[in-house]
Amino acid sequence: MNIKQIAKEAGVSVATVSRVLNHPENVAEATRHKIEKVMEEAGYRPNWFAQGLNFNRTKTIGIIVPHILNTLYMEIAKGVEDVALQKGYITFIGNGEMNPKCELDYMEHLETRRVDGIITMFSSIDEKRLREFEKRGMPIVLIGQNKEISDCNMVKINHKNGSEVMTKHLLSCGHRRIAFMQGFDPIEENQSMREGFTKVMENSGNSIDEDMMVMVNNSIDGGYLGVKKLLSDGHRPDAIFCTSDIIAFGAMDAMKEMGVKIPEDIALAGYGNYRMSNMVEPKLTTSEIPAHKMGVYGARLLFDLIEAGSEEKSEPKTITLQSRLKIRKSCGHTERIGEMF
Amino acid sequence: MLKTEFMGLQLKNPIVVAAGPWSHDGHSMLKSIEAGAAAVVTESVVSDTLYDVRPYIACDSMGAQNIRMYSDIQVEEWEKEIDLVNEAGGVVIGSVSAQTPSELGYLANKLEKFGCSAIELSVSNPAMEALEVVASHADVIFDMTREVVSAVDIPVTVKLSQNTTNISKVAKAVKAAGGSGVSAINSVRGIIGVDLENAVPALNTYGGISGEYIRPMGLASVATIAQSVDIPVCGVGGISSGRNALEYIMLGASAVQVGTAVMTDGYEVISDILEDMTDWMNKHGYDSLDQIRGKALSNMKSFDEMKFEPAVSTASSIPCESKCEKCVNLCSYHAISRMGEIVDINKNSCNGCGFCVYVCPTGKLKLDW
Repeated sequence: MNIKQIAKEAGVSVATVSRVLNHPENVAEATRHKIEKVMEEAGYRPNWFAQGLNFNRTKTIGIIVPHILNTLYMEIAKGVEDVALQKGYITFIGNGEMNPKCELDYMEHLETRRVDGIITMFSSIDEKRLREFEKRGMPIVLIGQNKEISDCNMVKINHKNGSEVMTKHLLSCGHRRIAFMQGFDPIEENQSMREGFTKVMENSGNSIDEDMMVMVNNSIDGGYLGVKKLLSDGHRPDAIFCTSDIIAFGAMDAMKEMGVKIPEDIALAGYGNYRMSNMVEPKLTTSEIPAHKMGVYGARLLFDLIEAGSEEKSEPKTITLQSRLKIRKSCGHTERIGEMF
Repeated sequence: MLKTEFMGLQLKNPIVVAAGPWSHDGHSMLKSIEAGAAAVVTESVVSDTLYDVRPYIACDSMGAQNIRMYSDIQVEEWEKEIDLVNEAGGVVIGSVSAQTPSELGYLANKLEKFGCSAIELSVSNPAMEALEVVASHADVIFDMTREVVSAVDIPVTVKLSQNTTNISKVAKAVKAAGGSGVSAINSVRGIIGVDLENAVPALNTYGGISGEYIRPMGLASVATIAQSVDIPVCGVGGISSGRNALEYIMLGASAVQVGTAVMTDGYEVISDILEDMTDWMNKHGYDSLDQIRGKALSNMKSFDEMKFEPAVSTASSIPCESKCEKCVNLCSYHAISRMGEIVDINKNSCNGCGFCVYVCPTGKLKLDW
């Protein structure tokens, strides 16, 4: 049944049926009930395309994730989706592969499919290109920082602070020679973490061994190979601080293979609090990234833009969140109270 | 008679219902308003309601331990809950809790749009934050308050904690950042008991203790702030009677918050408190709270100012309760003895500590010289 047939069956005009669907508060209660009954009996579902044409809204948003297999990014996407569903929106997810060409293709596809807004995580696209989408009226919100982008609606994390807190924790556990295993991406965030690490090491009078500042792929293999190389080259750090838990998982694998005990021989810290970090042995000390919350705030900023419409132009908003040290067993701390909060 | 003003909010009486499970939605807040409360604070609204801890409340006759101090309703859905209370003519104060200033600013701005008349920052959760709660760092509180004050046009109060070494310093930071008031105090970190048979602490972790346990700390905090910072204070902690509410007001509070008593005694405790307050004021010839606000502060003295009278315990003619031997048995200086019906006090042994005056169930003993 289509809207005309519903109107005929209920003995009202098409416009009245349309009002029941879109502004039920403007329809007399008795009429509304009559029409709803007809729709229910006929199993009527409104035509999504037609609604989109009428209101210039498709009630869809696009999400672009850097690596779809990375569970942290999926937790962020879940946060976006939770808010979207509540607003009556559904989401399209695209896998950008940290590749600007791929990401840009997706953005253009989403635009031609008339999504009402786009959330892009750890975007690899230049700020200038992003601005072009916005100029054409597409609301865009960035979650996480890969490239240096200053003037967009954005949800970010103060990773410099998170890294400082972790470095101080490693020092408080008695570690002095600390290796820093940095993932290639997200570029901007990992750079902030490096700055935090360097600052605390220098301020506490500890030297940084440049040979132990290692760049690896942000993956399990990256961590595995990074540790193999580091230890085979004869380096013996007290601790290894990885910029993500997945690097740490790979590192853990390599250390076990090489007979290195964690934390007795070398302590190991991750970053992100991936779900598995609490399952591995020893349980990984890490810093919790509020991934779901990042998604929730990304969606909130996006819906604020969508609901404001094009007339209300406001300054771009940034929501800054904080990661949080999670002390577990992999860094050899002695105070159990540290694990409580 | 009970009209009061707190941060520019005109309240019909000083009873505000505190943030907590008893304010978890519009209907529960409405119950407080119907019972006579002038205003309600929402259960703390957070950025993300992902964690669902349960069970989260333990209690005994002195109070409660709580380990989930925030709402499980996302901010977007609070609009209709707040509407319910506003439609009934109640005043809603939106409580927000988060880790960073920008989160707090965002949430506060939403709650303002939804119709809250003021914002309360809940940044002293003793169960979830680090050993040092956020509200023990004056600089962090300054940044958070400033961000929220700039995000809204309504008054902002910060709920302070006893889990700090200097509450006055934190209250000063709130004022300097443009906050309109402070609420003191939030629940205090504690463990309400241990199940000996199973060797398990209540709720398996540290929680926030509230109720009668913390009233003395709440009273001292309000007095400290009132003596050091020119900022309106809302007294919180262990209020379950009109007397308790008046104690806070006499120490300088503009208004008070009732929380745990609503949970343990029901919403009707609010009307009982109001009735109690009116009775006491009538009986003592007061017709406005302004006449008693801060009145006890002027009687707070430094040791230097106290004149130590050579008072000792003195027994009046009021008869003892039958078989009561408390004063005789408990006097640390063995100064009290009994001969038949007569209580005899050895003035040379009595040290004038005053303990027996509190121990005596009939009011027979007084300090005098």
